[in-house]
Amino acid sequence: MIRVESLTIKEFRGIRDLTLDFKGKGFAICGPNGTGKSAVVDALEFVLTGNVSRLSGEGSGDISLKQHGPHVDRRNDPDKARVTVKVTIPSLSKTATIERSAKTPAAAHVTPNDPAVLEVLGRVKAHPEIVLSRRELIRYVLATPGKRSEEVQALLHLDQVEQVRVGLQKIANSCEKQLPPIGTAVTLARENLLRALGISELTNEKMLAAANAQRAILGLPMIADLIESMSLKDGMATPGPAKPQLIPKTQALVDIRAAREALAEIANVPTTTRVAEVTADLTAFANDPEVAAAVKRETFYTNGMDLIETGACPLCDTPWDLEGLKKHVQTKIDHLKEVSRRRIAVETKISPLIAGLRKVQAAINTVAGYAPFATPPVAIEAARDYSTNCGTVVEKLAALLPLTETITVLPKVPIVPQAVLYAIGELEKAVAALPEPTKQDAAREWLTVTQERLDVWRETMRKQKAAKEQAEKARQVSDIYATTSDKVLAGIYAAVEKDFASLYSFVNRDDEDKFKAHLIPSMGKLGFDVDFYGRGFFPPGAYHSEGHQDSMGLSLYLALMRYLQGAAFTFAVLDDVLMSVDACHRREMCTLLKREFPHTQFIMTTHDSVWLRHMKTEGLIGGRSAVQFRSWSVDHGPAKWDERDVWAEIDDHLKENGVRAAAALLRHYLEYVSAELCHRLRAPVEFRGDAQYQLGELLPAAIKHMRELYSRAKGAANSWNQREIIEQLATREATFAMLAKKSNAEQWQVNVAVHFNSWDNLTKEDFEPVVKAFRGLLGGFTCPECKEYLRVSPDRETPESLRCECGKTNINLRKKGG
Amino acid sequence: MTTSPTVQGTTDIPTQVFEKFLQTLVGTGVSAELVARLRKTLLEDKTFTERALKEAVLAEESLP
Repeated sequence: MIRVESLTIKEFRGIRDLTLDFKGKGFAICGPNGTGKSAVVDALEFVLTGNVSRLSGEGSGDISLKQHGPHVDRRNDPDKARVTVKVTIPSLSKTATIERSAKTPAAAHVTPNDPAVLEVLGRVKAHPEIVLSRRELIRYVLATPGKRSEEVQALLHLDQVEQVRVGLQKIANSCEKQLPPIGTAVTLARENLLRALGISELTNEKMLAAANAQRAILGLPMIADLIESMSLKDGMATPGPAKPQLIPKTQALVDIRAAREALAEIANVPTTTRVAEVTADLTAFANDPEVAAAVKRETFYTNGMDLIETGACPLCDTPWDLEGLKKHVQTKIDHLKEVSRRRIAVETKISPLIAGLRKVQAAINTVAGYAPFATPPVAIEAARDYSTNCGTVVEKLAALLPLTETITVLPKVPIVPQAVLYAIGELEKAVAALPEPTKQDAAREWLTVTQERLDVWRETMRKQKAAKEQAEKARQVSDIYATTSDKVLAGIYAAVEKDFASLYSFVNRDDEDKFKAHLIPSMGKLGFDVDFYGRGFFPPGAYHSEGHQDSMGLSLYLALMRYLQGAAFTFAVLDDVLMSVDACHRREMCTLLKREFPHTQFIMTTHDSVWLRHMKTEGLIGGRSAVQFRSWSVDHGPAKWDERDVWAEIDDHLKENGVRAAAALLRHYLEYVSAELCHRLRAPVEFRGDAQYQLGELLPAAIKHMRELYSRAKGAANSWNQREIIEQLATREATFAMLAKKSNAEQWQVNVAVHFNSWDNLTKEDFEPVVKAFRGLLGGFTCPECKEYLRVSPDRETPESLRCECGKTNINLRKKGG
Repeated sequence: MTTSPTVQGTTDIPTQVFEKFLQTLVGTGVSAELVARLRKTLLEDKTFTERALKEAVLAEESLP
């Protein structure tokens, strides 16, 4: 999509004013911890996306970009915190500049304001994954399958796919949850209808027989078939010749009898016995605090299990792998197996009590409907109150917990208040006192009531059918979506898996050239198993070292990015990745990046100068495509090692008689540059296992080796009979020897000028010649044209040349026939 | 290196998934209207809320 040419950061994060010239090429930022490397990464992310993930992601708490994006001294003036980036867009052959201020992070000032440019930059903004930190890298490797899936989904922009999956699943679940209450309504409607019909089995034949018997009384034609469009009352004159009674006497008496039976059933001995048993069981639970707590926990887990629908804990919303969470909860339930068994046994005993109470409720509600029409109206409040109480008891019994409350309500189950029986008795008397209807009126009442109940039953059945169809359809859609999306993602992951294994095995081909990996998507999860030396497939964290895991993370990221962006993968920021990878494998990683991603500009940060050198020697970045941060201060931000800056800074110190500061800076710079010179020239230095080399060991070694290289170069020129070159080399050698002598660096131990603790005794006049001498000496190691430090090429095996980056200096070191 | 599966870049994986899903739905007994509603929701409106999906899936089946 883009390549970054340059970046200018002002008053942003820990940076006051910094410009980095990437020139659209790979670039490295090296420096110790806390020198501002990540601030550069933050600035790049900010200017390209309007966001800084470190300030807005998980765990960022009260930190915000607007408040904490600006430099701490500009925290009240966020408009001063500005980042500007100049990019090229290869696909458009255009350049563009983007500028953002922390005051209005969402508003980018883009020049040119060209729709095609804006479209590309919009796509960049939509891909914040161009910035990869080690923290994110590890997430791909060590995450649980559900979490990894989220990480990979974020990278591939699959959040929409997942959102739809979760949405469809919820719809299906919610449709299925509607079914049980509708089923209960159907059962009650069916029982009511059976009672009206006076039959025990709801078949067409029996219904027709019962209905036709009544219709015959009225002289109505027989109904041959009971179809939905037909009413049992078809052909019946309404109202009839006589004024119909408001209470259908016969049916009301049947319903009252049913209510009495339901009440008798709930108050009978078996119920009392069952209540006693359940009470004893629950009391045993309650009396043992451990069991009581276990029951509480077990019930909590069991209820919780039903609520697990998505990849998060239903209690605290902590993200979880869906299957992992279910397994976790199931394990807890299994640990409470005995408690679970006892709880289920009690619930089984309670179940008939709940059914009995519901039956009582329904029966009372039916007969209570007649009471207002009796003459005089019958007071039925006691029965209604009892029905309401039955509902409350049902809820308590179904919930089971708290145990004490359930134990308290249990004794009430078989007790039917006398007032209820009295009220029903009064109603029965009132109904019985109604004049007997004529046969015809009774038949008319029968047909009317039965048709009403048939309508209710049909309606509940229709609702149940519709609900089932809805549930089936929603489940079907959800299942098809899950299968299809898994299939599509499996195809994607198969391609990524192959590329990932290929990238990883290249980096680790010394011992894992047969490496394979499995990415296994399933219902929003992403399993990730890797081959461990042919011993089987295991999670990456099981046996592989941290270094291998880092390699895996970067390889997986690269494979995903290549799949996602293809040729548009032109830019990525790798923030301190591979810190656990050893030097040898980093070198291979450099080769991999260069070879497999030749069109991608990598901006990399590291605290390891050896890693930086690998990047250079392997050609991943050019010799000048790096910046070394040496220190950081809150007032000035990062200070980088820049030849011109260093000498100017030393001069500034001396102008103010700051000999101590000038000498310290000179020494610090010499320490840095001596190591660099020894590396570039391949100078032999006495090996130290702790890699803690002293300046007195490095600089003399570099000088000595430079002289040897000139000597070697003269020998080579001589073998080729290149007289003119021999003379040039002799001149250079003599100049270098003079510079070395002036600096007295070879006699380091006696050189008081920059040796320990001698600075305080020096005056400005004493120190200026020292600075001049070392500046001259370091100049002797550089190309006169490009001013870059020379290096021996290649960096291993037999040296062939001493050269610079620009190519103007290229001194042959190989003898003829050598 | 044995492979280098350079691809053109799959810039919109969700659209790929949704298209395949809708293709699969056709011919499974799901009504054409439902498929059309889901197509509008997922590919045209690009709204993925539960409410929008519910309207698309259950619109013709709402319980009275």
